[in-house]
This record gives sequence, C-alpha cells and structure tokens, in this order.
Amino acid sequence: MIPAKKVLNTLTEHWSVIELLFKRFKMTDFSIKDVQNIIKNKNPHWKSDKIFKETNKLLNQEIIIPLAKSSQLEINRAIADFISFLLQEEDLGIAAEITVLVTDLERLGNRLAQSGEDGDFTELRRFSRIMDERVRKIVKLFSHNENAIFNIVEQAKSDTSHVSLQKRYKAVIEAFDEYIEPMLEMVDIRGDFHRCFNRIEVQISAQIEHIELFGRGSIDKRMLEQLRTRILDMHLVGRESLRKSADMLMPLREELRRNNLITRQASKVLGLIRKNGVDRTLSAVQPEFVSDIQRFSLGQQRHMVAYMASLVEFEHDEYELPDQTDVPAYQSPNIPDYNNVRTTFAKTGQKRTAILGFLSEQYPDLEADEMLFLYQKLINDTDLELQQDEQRTSVSISGQTFKLYPFNAANKQEQKNDKH
Amino acid sequence: MTNINLTDLSELQAINKKLVSGYHISEQDTTLWQQLDQKIDAYQALFTALGHDLIHDARGFYYLGSDESTPNMGKISRAIALTIYILIEHYANQGKDPLRALFDNIADLELMQTLVQMNKHLFDQLEIFSGSELRKDVYLRMVRLGLAKEVEQGFVLLAPVYRYIDALMEVNDNNFDELEEEV
Repeated sequence: MIPAKKVLNTLTEHWSVIELLFKRFKMTDFSIKDVQNIIKNKNPHWKSDKIFKETNKLLNQEIIIPLAKSSQLEINRAIADFISFLLQEEDLGIAAEITVLVTDLERLGNRLAQSGEDGDFTELRRFSRIMDERVRKIVKLFSHNENAIFNIVEQAKSDTSHVSLQKRYKAVIEAFDEYIEPMLEMVDIRGDFHRCFNRIEVQISAQIEHIELFGRGSIDKRMLEQLRTRILDMHLVGRESLRKSADMLMPLREELRRNNLITRQASKVLGLIRKNGVDRTLSAVQPEFVSDIQRFSLGQQRHMVAYMASLVEFEHDEYELPDQTDVPAYQSPNIPDYNNVRTTFAKTGQKRTAILGFLSEQYPDLEADEMLFLYQKLINDTDLELQQDEQRTSVSISGQTFKLYPFNAANKQEQKNDKH
Repeated sequence: MTNINLTDLSELQAINKKLVSGYHISEQDTTLWQQLDQKIDAYQALFTALGHDLIHDARGFYYLGSDESTPNMGKISRAIALTIYILIEHYANQGKDPLRALFDNIADLELMQTLVQMNKHLFDQLEIFSGSELRKDVYLRMVRLGLAKEVEQGFVLLAPVYRYIDALMEVNDNNFDELEEEV
C-alpha cells in the first residue's frame, strides 16, 4: 500500500500537471509521452532525466495507471473523482444511484429493528454505522449532482457559438428528464422516499424508546438519535437541492421549448403562405396599426362608440331668461360731468399738457374705460383745437410708462380759450 | 374616474403625434416612454375618451390598438409579418436561437438580399424583388412604426415585433380551415 501522505505530497507537487491532464484527457487515455510533455511544459528548466523520474513517480504511486492490455495510461479513477470534487467539475449522476441507496437504507432499517428486538447490541451498532455511512453518501450525491447541474446550465448559457440550439441544450433536457423529474417524483411528499424515511424514523424512534426504557447504553442512544436527525436532514437537503436544480434548469427548458415552438410555427405558417398566398393567410391575424388617415375620420368602431358616448352624455339645457326682479340695479358710471372736465382742461391749457397726462392727474381714481370715454370726448370736441405731437414722448400713467405721440391742446387754442 | 391633469402630461403632443401615426413607443424613446410609464392611467383615460385604445404591452411598449387598418397599412403589415417569419426560419436554419438572433443580430443589406433570393416566390407576391426594395418597403417602414431602429450597419428589431410573434402563434390550422370554407 502506498502511504497516503506520499500520494498527497505528489499531488501537491504536481498539481498543475495533474489538473491539466485531467482537463485535457478527462475520460480518455493518453500516452506516457503526453505526460512527459506536460511536465516539460510546466517545468521548462527540468532536465530530461528529472522529467523521466517524476513521470515514474506518478506511475509508481498509481496516480496514473496503465490501461489493461495497452501501453496507454489513464488517471486513477479514485484520484479523478477527488480532482473533480476539488475542481467542482462533476458530472451528473443518475437518479437510480440515489434510489438504490435509499432502498438499501430501508433494508438496513429493517435489520436494525430486528437486531434491536433480538437485543443484539453489537449488530445494532453495526447497522447504525452502515446506515450513517449510506446517508452521508446520499447527501454527497445530492450536492454533487447539484454542482453538476450548475455546470450544465452555465455551459448551455455561455455557449454563444453557432451550435444549434438543440445540441446546446441537449444536456439540459437530459438532466431534466433523467434526473430531476424522477427524483422530484421520489422526493415528493407522497413519494417513495418519504414513506421509506418515515418508516425508518419510526423504527429508530422505537429503538430509542426501548433503550430509554431499559436505561442502558447512552452511547447507543446518542448514535441512534444522530442517525435519525441525519436522515431527516438528508430528506430536507435532497428536497432543497432538487428544487434549486429544477429552478436553474427550468428557464432554459422553457426557452428551448418556446424557441422550438416558434420555429416550428414559422415553418408551418410559411408553408401555408406558399400554398395559399400571403394575403389570404395573414390577413386574419396580422397586427393592425392606426394611421394618419384614420385620425380624421370616424371610420373605426371605437371612434363611433366614443362619439355615441359623448352624445349620450349630452344634456339639453333650457336657457333661462333673467327674471325682472333679478336684474341688478343700474350703477351709473363714475364719470365727472363733461362740462366741468372741459373747463378744467381749458384752464390748464397754458401749460400745454397732453390730454392723457391731464386726465390722469386730475382724476386719478377713474376706471380705465371711464378715462377713455373722457379722452374720446375731449378729442372729438370741435370747440377745442387739438394737435398731435410731432415727436414721441413718454407718458406715465398709474405707474406704467408709455411712449406715444400725445394729443396736446394747441397753443393758439389756449390763447383763444383764455380770452373767453 | 381618473383625474387628467393636462399640465402633467408634458409630452402629450409628441406622444399623440407618434401614436396616431401607428408608431410604437418602446424603451428606446426614453422621454416619451418614461412619461407614459409614469402617467399611464391619465394617458389611457385621455386616449379612451378620444376614441383610441392605448395599449400597454408588458414586454415594454405602448401603441394604439386598432381593429382594422387601411388597405395600404394592411399590405405593409403583411409584408412586415412575412419578413419576420422568414427571418425566424432563416436563423433557425442556421442553427441559431431564433428569438435571440431576431433581436440581437443586425440586418444588413447582404442579409436582405439573401432573404429575398431564397424566398423569391414569397416576396414576389408583395412586389419586392431585391434586397434594397426589402430595405425600402419593409425595414424603413418598420423604423417609422417603431418596430425597428436604424444602426450603423443596418437595422435592429425592437420589442414591438413581439406583436408579430403573437400573431404567428395565432395562426393555426383550425382558423385557416374556417377561412377556406368561407371561400
């Protein structure tokens, strides 16, 4: 037997070589020359006799072993498993593997119960140990398969090359049909596993009670309790792992299914079009668009509906004539007597003020329309002779400044007015 | 009843102009899309009152639904449908993932020429005889309807194309048999 530590040392020493060998020749054989080349590649400064020695070391420690009846080599299966575990490059196992282990667990459970009844505690311990071993193995398989499925999914997703969809997702579909579905069925609440675990649990619990009753073997009791917990935990781990795997695979499977469907449908429709013509095949289903022309017409049904809806909501209102009593009392405009205005204006005439300026100065409280009325009257008054200014001046009325050609009282007129 | 506050609908004019011409507003029209996304209730109420049917498709686009289109629009729609279905078949024949390729690949003039050559008798029915005619009669119109966008090397299809994929799935032998009976 080769000392374990020696093998481990060699593995550490030659890890890069072994990793490369594993990745390059995963399932196939290779020649001794390949091994030497890889060692040379990884350690370029080594002499050929050193390389030869190292190759021999790998062979002697059975890390690589010769194929039966051939000069070719392969990686020792146990080492390969270890490497794949380390690199997490696991391949999907088969559902039957787990099923067999679980069935065996059931058998062992029966034996355990039997030996408990017989009072044979050596046997009881032995079976409990074996069962423990089996349970660990199952849990390992679950996590192993979960990793494998993760790898499958990653590969299917990342592969953007021109490989056909079918090929790309082949592994996905296989994983789903051959592992996930049967496993889900087993793990299901009414499935075989559940029933089996229940029975084992009942058996173990009975044993524990039995031991308690006779008050002996606390170590046995603890061992059984641990086994029971482990089995329950295993069931949970299995369910979790499967659910996770299914969640990873499901979208890809759906995508593939959908793509297949679309492709098939496209070919079918194109076939129909070839046979029956574009217009006849597609008219019924083609998406419709609104277009500019329709904007201006009531062509579509929904336009009519909207139009009718607005008609329905129309309510006829009687126009109500105002009542005689309702008429608000007449308010006379707040305009000063025109004659007064006129005389005042004539008096200020000497200063040759603009009419607007005069009005806003004299009557600052007047409304705009009222002021305009007076302004109009003054301009149109034939007795007053007014003239429009030649140049533009700015006038400010109630805080606002305007530029305009104001009407002014003519000088002549002013003098005439003075004489009056 | 939704309260419509017109001052909130700042993009109303642009949105209305695009939608009534048959355009599909998808995520690439960032401003309009965001506005619709935020105020969809108000817009929907407003357009319904105007006799339109503003449809929000969960795959990321808005358009005005229509029961029937003008004969000219119908013809354009059929040409677009045919092109898309031929594209799907073309990509699938090349072993690509048809849906992904449809939206990821850029359609250049070379591809258009190949399509027309390989499906001559189909495109003949639509009076499309060359790749450049396909570009002009189908792809440029798709751009105008918001179904595609023009990029440097050609055209890229956008999410509203899903309407055609839905339509594709609708065609089945049954409804076609009925059609045949009617004829």
